Amino acid sequence: MSGSARSLAKGSAPPGPVPEGLIRVYSMRFCPYAQRTLLVLKAKGIRHEIININLKSKPEWFFKKNPFGLVPVLENSQGQLIYESAITCEYLDDVYPGKKLLPDDPYEKARQKIVFELFSKVPSLVTSLLRKQNEEDCSGQKEELRKEISELEEVLTNKKTTFFGGNSLSMIDYLIWPWFERMEILELNDCVDHTPKLKLWMAAMRKDPAVSALLMEPKALRGFLNL
Amino acid sequence: MEDATRSFGKGSLPPGPVPDGLIRVYSMRFCPYAHRTRLVLRAKGIRHEVVNINLRNKPEWYYTKHPFGQIPVLENSKCQLIYESVIACEYLDDAYPGRKLYPYDPYERARQKMLLELFYKVPHLTKECLVALRCGRECADLKLALRQEFCNLEEERQESVSAHQRSFLSPLAQETQIKLKAYLRNSAGPEILGYQNTIFFGGDCISMIDYLFWPWFERLDVYGIADCLNHTPALRLWTAAMKQDPTVCALLIDKNIFLGFLNLYFQNNPDAFDYGLAC
Repeated sequence: MSGSARSLAKGSAPPGPVPEGLIRVYSMRFCPYAQRTLLVLKAKGIRHEIININLKSKPEWFFKKNPFGLVPVLENSQGQLIYESAITCEYLDDVYPGKKLLPDDPYEKARQKIVFELFSKVPSLVTSLLRKQNEEDCSGQKEELRKEISELEEVLTNKKTTFFGGNSLSMIDYLIWPWFERMEILELNDCVDHTPKLKLWMAAMRKDPAVSALLMEPKALRGFLNL
Repeated sequence: MEDATRSFGKGSLPPGPVPDGLIRVYSMRFCPYAHRTRLVLRAKGIRHEVVNINLRNKPEWYYTKHPFGQIPVLENSKCQLIYESVIACEYLDDAYPGRKLYPYDPYERARQKMLLELFYKVPHLTKECLVALRCGRECADLKLALRQEFCNLEEERQESVSAHQRSFLSPLAQETQIKLKAYLRNSAGPEILGYQNTIFFGGDCISMIDYLFWPWFERLDVYGIADCLNHTPALRLWTAAMKQDPTVCALLIDKNIFLGFLNLYFQNNPDAFDYGLAC
């Protein structure tokens, strides 16, 4: 579970310093950006503690952790703070030993970042579709989302591999996964109708231990979105 | 300058493969994004060739290098293509030996990337100001927005000087220093905060983040919006320091040539991109 502790809100006392040997992530159970960081922490087996933040009523002290007031934020035992989900993920990969999620080869690393850019319009499209469910006509946005997803399908087609970075799962797969998980839960599956390779990729992702450990309860997500 | 070559337009033949031992950058002499990549190539002493693209009249073959025909794009002798200016700069730092522009320390590296987020509205705002001024429109709101972005960067400069110094002091000395600074700031004005051990965004020496910011600051004057730095003395100090950097100097664009380019560009003249080149 992505931290089952109650979230800290306005008026709460700030948490103490991070103990040696641990890294802390400020998170929120349903945030797709924070999920990226949690996936990397899990995949690399990094000892960590999670503090959930009430994003509708943020504690004042949280702005000292991230002036933008957003999750995720990493804090280590030296008091160093890192924010922006992609930056936190890369930081963890650099600092911690074990399986490297980003390739060593400079070109392959650059390719992953190019694919990440290709993906960049998807989060806002998915978010706005999540908000519009049962409301106005969202066929325009669905079309746009299909178009963006087609570009990702093309990447898999050209690369001829299961995952976006090759034949094993790597950083780029974790970075984009949270939105595909949400598309499934919220029945935006028709957006991946015409993309068979992506469908296979999603099935393969679900088999990954880190991904499956962090899968959200569909009811919980739907409940959260309705609030 | 390596990039003083005529641009390739529609109907042109594609350049051949990139020879071994060289890397090619598709560029345009006045483009700030491509400027980033050229700064890194120069700073690291990387042997390269520049192919300028006529952005108003793009060669058909160029879309095989970039799906939307944008610059900059790197092409190496293995026919590998890398684009998005920031990705290209990081690739060069990773792939080539010699002086590393990104710090080795993972936290410092992350800090530089976080700083880049602080900067993200600047390119769009400077361009909008330029277009507004060139089209004879008002741009007070845009300039205000740009000044606000510069204030955010200024604050970062001032905080990072403090943080750097604080890290070497005992808690009592830190407290004294904070009080002293507050006193100085109130009595003597912001200029006094210039005991800049960390004059550059990444520390004592120029590094990647400085080069990633620089192109837009170089253009403030020729765009006619240099006054946007009026309230940010630490940033002015930084631009002065940047102008002393050999790499920045070597690539500085002559103001008259830039103005000539802008005049033609805003007249939609496709020859704009080759303005100032000797026949």
